[in-house]
Amino acid sequence: MRHLMKSCLVVLATGFPLMAQADVKTIIEQTVTEQILPGYQGLANHAESLLLATDSHCGVDDPDLRDAWGAMMDAWTRVSHLRFGPSETDARAFALAFWPDPRGKTAKALNQLLTDLDPSVSDPAIFETVSVAARGLNALEFLLYDDAMRAAATPEYRCALIRAIATGLVDTSAAILSDWQGQYGDAMLNPVETGPYRGEGEVYQELYKALATGLEFATLSRLGRPLGTFDRPRPRRAELRRSGRSRHQLIVALEELSELAAILSSDHPEIASRFEVGFAEALDLAADPDDPIFASVSETSGRLKVEILQQSVERLRLIVTDELGPAIGVGVGFNALDGD
Amino acid sequence: MKSFILVTSALALTAGAAFADGHDVSKADVLTNYANIAHAKYEDSLLTARTLSAAVDALIADPSAQNLEAAKEAWIAARVPYQQTEVYRFGNTAVDNWEGKVNAWPLDEGLIDYVDTSYGGATDENEHAVLNVIASPTFNLSGTEIDASEITPELLESTLHEADGVESNVATGYHAIEFLLWGQDMNGTDHGAGARAWTDYAMGDDCTNGNCDRRGEYLKAATDLLISDLEFMTAQWVDGGDARGTVVGDEDAGIVAMLTGMGSLSYGEQAGERMRLGLLLNDPEEEHDCFSDNTHNSHYYDGLGVQNVYLGEYVRVNGDLVSGASLADLVSHEDAALDAEMQAKLSTTMRALGRIKTTAEAGFSYDQMLEQGNQAGEALVMGGVNGLIDQTKSIERVVGALGLDNIAFEGSDSIDNPGSVFE
Repeated sequence: MRHLMKSCLVVLATGFPLMAQADVKTIIEQTVTEQILPGYQGLANHAESLLLATDSHCGVDDPDLRDAWGAMMDAWTRVSHLRFGPSETDARAFALAFWPDPRGKTAKALNQLLTDLDPSVSDPAIFETVSVAARGLNALEFLLYDDAMRAAATPEYRCALIRAIATGLVDTSAAILSDWQGQYGDAMLNPVETGPYRGEGEVYQELYKALATGLEFATLSRLGRPLGTFDRPRPRRAELRRSGRSRHQLIVALEELSELAAILSSDHPEIASRFEVGFAEALDLAADPDDPIFASVSETSGRLKVEILQQSVERLRLIVTDELGPAIGVGVGFNALDGD
Repeated sequence: MKSFILVTSALALTAGAAFADGHDVSKADVLTNYANIAHAKYEDSLLTARTLSAAVDALIADPSAQNLEAAKEAWIAARVPYQQTEVYRFGNTAVDNWEGKVNAWPLDEGLIDYVDTSYGGATDENEHAVLNVIASPTFNLSGTEIDASEITPELLESTLHEADGVESNVATGYHAIEFLLWGQDMNGTDHGAGARAWTDYAMGDDCTNGNCDRRGEYLKAATDLLISDLEFMTAQWVDGGDARGTVVGDEDAGIVAMLTGMGSLSYGEQAGERMRLGLLLNDPEEEHDCFSDNTHNSHYYDGLGVQNVYLGEYVRVNGDLVSGASLADLVSHEDAALDAEMQAKLSTTMRALGRIKTTAEAGFSYDQMLEQGNQAGEALVMGGVNGLIDQTKSIERVVGALGLDNIAFEGSDSIDNPGSVFE
């Protein structure tokens, strides 16, 4: 055992036991250029479209505005597991989407603005200092789909608030994209001793953590929150239930994570094929158009189906931590979900 | 004593790190010191809680402004050792499973006592957010009629705490006691803490806000419960205690527990949940010690606890230094540069947390720092957040340097089942 430890240390010092440096470099390049950069480009584009939509379609029932919002929500979901670097700078990810929100901060912050007809909405520089709970895509969901909110204040004020949020989303998405296209992308592709990543091992670990975090978020929050406990299911805690997109968002997230898993395991065909089978199974279980907001968690049979889906996602996470990690020689490390 | 050292050294030759200057540090020594410090911290928490309890008894027996202030002071003092124990939470299942009774936060305080109308009523998340047990000798809890004519530790612990499976139904621990001593802080992001009048505990006609006897009963029950909980945890770390046994029983897992506690408290819990979130929401309800405005100290002593674990030392409430073999010793043997990096980052964090503390003590309180558009406050809080996140990166490097990657975090409850950052 002691000898094993020692050899393990040596191996770690030189990088990866079972993978040549060149392969790691390829994997990193592929993730950054084929997943991350297009992901954030898509987010920035959809933010622009959303802002454009608010110009001509600012009514809360407007289908074009709702479509533009939904498209950006999907674009956000595709990058939502990348909680490091540019998305963490200035808490941009929180400003894009604030969920889960167990203490009801979104409704509270929006109601405050609507009640006061708060003039912050007319100046983007001031609106930037408003609570993140009132500034992101989830706040927009309230404004577009929550009955009380849709009737609050005046149509003009609601419209100004929606535009202020959309303007912030454009600025924030553009800032993330610009960081990735510049310094941060370079720091990942060409790690140096003085950068945020000292070597390809640390870069790989970051991407690996993102995959694990995305799967953990799916089981604990996207599925776990509405599931609650058997005695006390909590369907009202489902993500985006007002717009009926809870299940849809899970599917979008799984599709994206499936691609990341494929890239990260590309040098280990056996693990890659386990991911392929596992994601296909999870996506198959996730496809249930009759239960878009996991309302079925309150009934025994419906609940069982959601629990089985949750277990299938949990198994994927275990492939990451118990198979991919040891094969590559990286650990999960710490993430933002580690608190209680 | 001499022969004892020889024995450990002989073991350390194979199991541990041999130093150029001849002294050896084994993982076993590091873990023993870690457990010794845990014991000292929980025992200090217990001793200071007993002082708090005496002050609470005096307040109930002889309500006065002075006695209320004395109880508040005792509470503030009791937080100093307790917050330094928080680094033991993540990674040690025994602590993780227990701490919810002692330091749960945030709370829907309307469960316990009267609140201002601006607090609101029952919410989507919590039907019992304004239950007000102190005013309700009987009430209905999820369909069950509860007899609360006597407020006992048993009632708080078994019936009220996390009632209806809602985590913000916090009926026990430091923050419940804090609320009973200070009351709600109605100052928003302006200066000022909760201002409960001592007459909330007064007898007869002097009693304000009703049910003063039941309020005293609740305070007493919560304090008694805190003491029995701390007695339990102190016993977990004595020689032969379960928590100590787990840590020293499996050396690699024990070292992982130490690092898990450091990393999880630094990043997900303190930097994320407790500090950055409040700033992003400009919400003083997100302050960790929101009734007493003692948050600057909570953050400071949490950070100090993390540093304690790495350096293997703790100053007790009586001034005694507990110290011994440390993670720093182990790391410096493997990679001296990494040890220097880790120590520097821990110091940077403590400097940043120290700035928050000294500024708050000078009159710019933590809730003021959260005010919308307050750039100086934001810079202070973010200084702490950035330090904590940055040191987590080095903690991960330490995990790698000690060759613990592939066993890291297995069997750690907080890592296997972490709640979301917002829960």
